[in-house]
Amino acid sequence: MRITLRLIILIVLQFVVLASMIAMKQWTLSTGTPIVLETEPIDPRSLFQGDYVRLNYTISTLRLAELSSDRPFKEHERIYVLVRNGDPYWEPVSLHHERPGLPPDHVTLKGTVIRAGNRRWNRQSQSWEATEHLMVRYGIENYFVPEGEGRDLERLKPGEKISIRVAVDQFGNAGIKAVLVNGQPRYTETLF
Amino acid sequence: MLRESGFLRRLRKELPVWVQQGWVRPGSEQQILDHAAAHRGPGVRYLPLAFSILGVLLLGAGVITFFAANWSVMPKVAKLTLVFGSMGLAYAGAGTALKYREAPQLGEALLLLGVILFGSNIMLIAQIYHIDAHYPNGVLLWALGGMVTAYLMHSQPAMIAGIALAVLWTGMETFGFDRSLHWPFLILWASCLPAIHKNRWMPASHVAMIGLLLWSWFAFQHLIWSAHAWGSGVPLYLMQIYFLASLGIFVLGMVMATDRQLASFGVVVKRYAAFAALVSFCALTFPDLQRGLEWRAGSGRLHGTAPGLWVIVTVVVLLIVVGLAVWHRIRTTGMERPAYLNWGSGLLGLGIAVVLANLFLSGEHGGEVAVVFNLLFLAGLVWLVYAGMHANDRFLVNAAFLFFGLGLLSRYFDTFWTLLNRSYFFMAGGLLLIGGGYLLEKQRRKLTARMQGAQAQGGRP
Repeated sequence: MRITLRLIILIVLQFVVLASMIAMKQWTLSTGTPIVLETEPIDPRSLFQGDYVRLNYTISTLRLAELSSDRPFKEHERIYVLVRNGDPYWEPVSLHHERPGLPPDHVTLKGTVIRAGNRRWNRQSQSWEATEHLMVRYGIENYFVPEGEGRDLERLKPGEKISIRVAVDQFGNAGIKAVLVNGQPRYTETLF
Repeated sequence: MLRESGFLRRLRKELPVWVQQGWVRPGSEQQILDHAAAHRGPGVRYLPLAFSILGVLLLGAGVITFFAANWSVMPKVAKLTLVFGSMGLAYAGAGTALKYREAPQLGEALLLLGVILFGSNIMLIAQIYHIDAHYPNGVLLWALGGMVTAYLMHSQPAMIAGIALAVLWTGMETFGFDRSLHWPFLILWASCLPAIHKNRWMPASHVAMIGLLLWSWFAFQHLIWSAHAWGSGVPLYLMQIYFLASLGIFVLGMVMATDRQLASFGVVVKRYAAFAALVSFCALTFPDLQRGLEWRAGSGRLHGTAPGLWVIVTVVVLLIVVGLAVWHRIRTTGMERPAYLNWGSGLLGLGIAVVLANLFLSGEHGGEVAVVFNLLFLAGLVWLVYAGMHANDRFLVNAAFLFFGLGLLSRYFDTFWTLLNRSYFFMAGGLLLIGGGYLLEKQRRKLTARMQGAQAQGGRP
């Protein structure tokens, strides 16, 4: 095979890989059901490209006593979390190993168990509490912001509340559509 | 000029061995030397490649820091144009350099730049679109990109980058996501071998062997830590299996050495396998490992006999080693069989018997078993010196001497740490190091000089 042809195949292959990363994310954002999740930004860190904010959702820590579930779950295992439309935020209903059927006004979020424990630090009471829980990652925990703005999101003004609008596709994949402050979009995701 | 004369010197040394191995027809050595001398290149070839690769790395670093400084003020379209454009330009430049054959080294370096940019682009796109997936997958994609580049463009630097990234990927999966035996790495690793063999890529073969050893070390580390059972003898049984597997790969290297096409790779395989086998066998000579590591921690608990699963796994690996040894014997039937191979087989049989018996012994016999392993280790080192001298492989001889010194030092620490007053211990240790080191080094130099002399005369040491 000639060098030019081989090189064209190589460039096309690598471009397709990069483009498909964008396409898959955009597909989730355009076809997914929008839901709003309660969060608090923690620990903005500076990467070489700028800042990113680590988002800690209310549904990132799931107390097993409060939810129905197909126990047990192990660390690094796939998990499906059924969430329902609440007011104002969507809230978890049940935990599953396989994707469950969807009642109206419900969506399923796909995640990975990163920790299964029975003791956790309660930030409000500043003490350890005995509770069987799972810590779950949904792939929407990091949000990159322009340099220097990570701290602004972490240190909100009094009365400001942050939440995230997320799109969830039919397979349970989630993508951040917008970062909301007091329900109003501060950052919105677009293709270009 | 320097490289060419060095090449001729090496060729002059190697040719007698090649003739003896039957790879080159007797009497044609001078013709080959004359041909090589007549086709000496115009000058130094490695320098442009080194400068090109250095230039590529600097350019890559510059591009990334440029992005870093201006990233937040760029619109998405500009970012995407940079991401795709820089990679496309690097590959187009590589194509031009390779197509017109004026600067092949620059072409290779630009291909490597393309691979580096492909990886940084995966991360940049993940950042632009907030893709926060299972992060080792990004490194896997990058490794695959390097390997595809290597296959399509016949690029050795791209293959080396691909293998190194695959090792990074398996390390992330093993330690970050608790995958004790991360088998998918082996599929990726094996997929590199046909290209390495076809293109006779020797540096890439070294990197591939280092990658395999690192993978096995990751698996070994993780299996031991995840077992959470120090007193159960898991580290001992795992170490025995690790030793047997390394031995098996060493024998495979010996089999490869009997094949004309694979002989040069056989040398590489044997070297790394010998190193891994020596490390694991050296560990087996420690009485603490033989008794059970909880015993050392002061609990006084000794491990029991091995559970059935460990016996089965050990026997399966043993059968593979024996199978490979038989294969080697079949392949060398009718050929002159040096004596060291025969007593090597005896040593192998003895080692297998001890490893098997050890599965059925509890930790209370750890001290006696360690003595037997020490004797076998010493015999194995002597065998390795012979094997190295026979194959004219100084690496094997040097490794044998290094591990002999390490073994001696370990036994000194084991035996005298509790018996001697600390000051006497350190003084005696110092004297042992100075005196023993001098004697060992003298003996090693004598042997390697003898090998060099014999090589120059075309004979066997």
